[in-house]
Amino acid sequence: MSTAVAAASVKKEQPSVQAACAIRLHGIEKSYPRGGERVQILDGINLDIAEGSFEALMGPSGSGKSTLLNILAGFDRPSAGEVTVAGTRLERLSDSALTKWRAGTIGFIFQTFNLMPVLTALENVELPLTLINLPRAERRRRAETALRVVGLEDRMHHFPRQLSGGQEQRVAIARAIVNDPSLILADEPTGDLDRQSAAVVLELLEKLNREFKKTIVMVTHDPVAGERASVIRRLEKGVLQ
Amino acid sequence: MSLSKLAVRGLLRNRFRNIATMIAVSVAVLTFVLLRTVITSWTTAADYAPKDRLVTHHKVTFVMPLPLRYVELVRQSDGIRLATYASYFGGQDPKHDRETFVSWAVAENYLEIFDEFSVSAQQKQEFLADKTGAMVGDVLANKLGWKVGERITLESGIFPSAPDSPWTFTVRAIYTASSSSVDRSTFLLHWSYLNDALPQARQNQVGWIATRTTDPKRSGQIAAALDQKFASDEVQTQTQDEKSFQASVLAASSTVLRAIATISLIILLIMSLVLGNTIGMSVAERLREFGVLRALGFESRYLVTLIIAESSLMALVGGLLGLALSYPLIERGIGVAIEQNMGTLLPHFKISPQIAAMALIGVIVIGGLVAILPAYQATSLRVSEALRKVS
Repeated sequence: MSTAVAAASVKKEQPSVQAACAIRLHGIEKSYPRGGERVQILDGINLDIAEGSFEALMGPSGSGKSTLLNILAGFDRPSAGEVTVAGTRLERLSDSALTKWRAGTIGFIFQTFNLMPVLTALENVELPLTLINLPRAERRRRAETALRVVGLEDRMHHFPRQLSGGQEQRVAIARAIVNDPSLILADEPTGDLDRQSAAVVLELLEKLNREFKKTIVMVTHDPVAGERASVIRRLEKGVLQ
Repeated sequence: MSLSKLAVRGLLRNRFRNIATMIAVSVAVLTFVLLRTVITSWTTAADYAPKDRLVTHHKVTFVMPLPLRYVELVRQSDGIRLATYASYFGGQDPKHDRETFVSWAVAENYLEIFDEFSVSAQQKQEFLADKTGAMVGDVLANKLGWKVGERITLESGIFPSAPDSPWTFTVRAIYTASSSSVDRSTFLLHWSYLNDALPQARQNQVGWIATRTTDPKRSGQIAAALDQKFASDEVQTQTQDEKSFQASVLAASSTVLRAIATISLIILLIMSLVLGNTIGMSVAERLREFGVLRALGFESRYLVTLIIAESSLMALVGGLLGLALSYPLIERGIGVAIEQNMGTLLPHFKISPQIAAMALIGVIVIGGLVAILPAYQATSLRVSEALRKVS
């Protein structure tokens, strides 16, 4: 754990060592069978991420970045090792419990936005709130607030096809924060965006980290995006460098 | 925003495919309702028969004749108020050889027992007074262009005419009927005309004897007594009230009815395959989207509910469209023509509420059932696998 923390490149003000752990990984391994052999994707990952930090996970294609992010989000399970996220041991949860846990704890931002094409921006943001027993008006109010945070209050009733890529990603960010999760995981959030839109999205992530104290883990290829994080961790061939 | 709204919006995706599927469902429902209405109308025809009317026919089959002398013996029996008889003539107009109609050679008092025919007193009198006269239903008369006073010639496969003496009739009466159970395409001729023209060996035979009893509640007893009367005679009889008689005719048609019922179920099966194919394709195209929903925290049961709701909704819309088409088409179009032309066999050709409910509930249930496999497909992948799927 401490080796991983030490290995991290400290780019900005690092959160206090005494800060509580948002994520703790111990001995994480992940392998897949392929053509009669097992391919090792992650190999003995130990990692602590402090609450309130903004960390970037970088590395070449196939290094296991997205697999690691999927394990943190509970989308996938490790072949071995312990995953503790926001105080919960994920490998002990059933699929159903894991899904419920995710709904209240994680906000996930995808590279390809993944908005529902048949819903407006407001409805897309409201979608995760349908899992909570909230009055309709309160759901609407929260979704509108989230869209205001990302600066899209004038695009609430637009469908995804009526928005630019950057706007779609901002809607996706609003959807990720509408449940007020403690942890935001972003998988190449600027990968499909032009430079200008990417800058807006990164500023938003910085704002969420700085003003709303969200812990953010971002997988990226883009060094410019990585520069925005307070900590950059590098992964190569399934091993944290 | 709710899952039901998401299901409704789901219908707006791939509109051409979804609309085509809903039209296919509606056509299937329309066909199902039509076939089921045929079955219901056919099987309920007997319900329209008067309770006090009995029919006596050959014990083996109603196709075989009875001796004429039985008529008088029946008439004199206890509990019998009126008796008449008729034979199936099997006539056909050679000028209209594609038009088939029922033709009965009937006794003079036939209309006293079958009083559901509506005909003017004058025409009735003219029919009774003319041995070669004919009384025809208005639907048949209109179809073949027959008028009162017109001379017509028929051919019969059962009673072939001599080459020099064809079956020639004068239309003396045209009847109508207030009840839809009365066939308005029937041709009535005088049994005496037929009998007199037949060779001696075929004379004095009747197809069946119809009676009216003094007490409808005793019809069963009276029928049994009649059959007992002829039990040791040259020809044994079977007497039934008209409802049972029609039921026995119906039993002879049970294979046809079963075939219609089977076809109606096959249509539902084809519909379920069309619907299942659409839902299957829709889910396969949206595996990534379902992965996103699970990533957002939606449990598998939500997705199963969403997919089944989408499928059932599509089936419901198609079903409602099918029913909306069925009512005008069947009740104002086909049904009217059927009641006019086949009223004896298919009276009251109307869509019953039970059939409408059966069709609607059926498509909703089928819509849900065909979605089970795609729903399993959508929820069986790990979220990480689903997110890798290309939309």
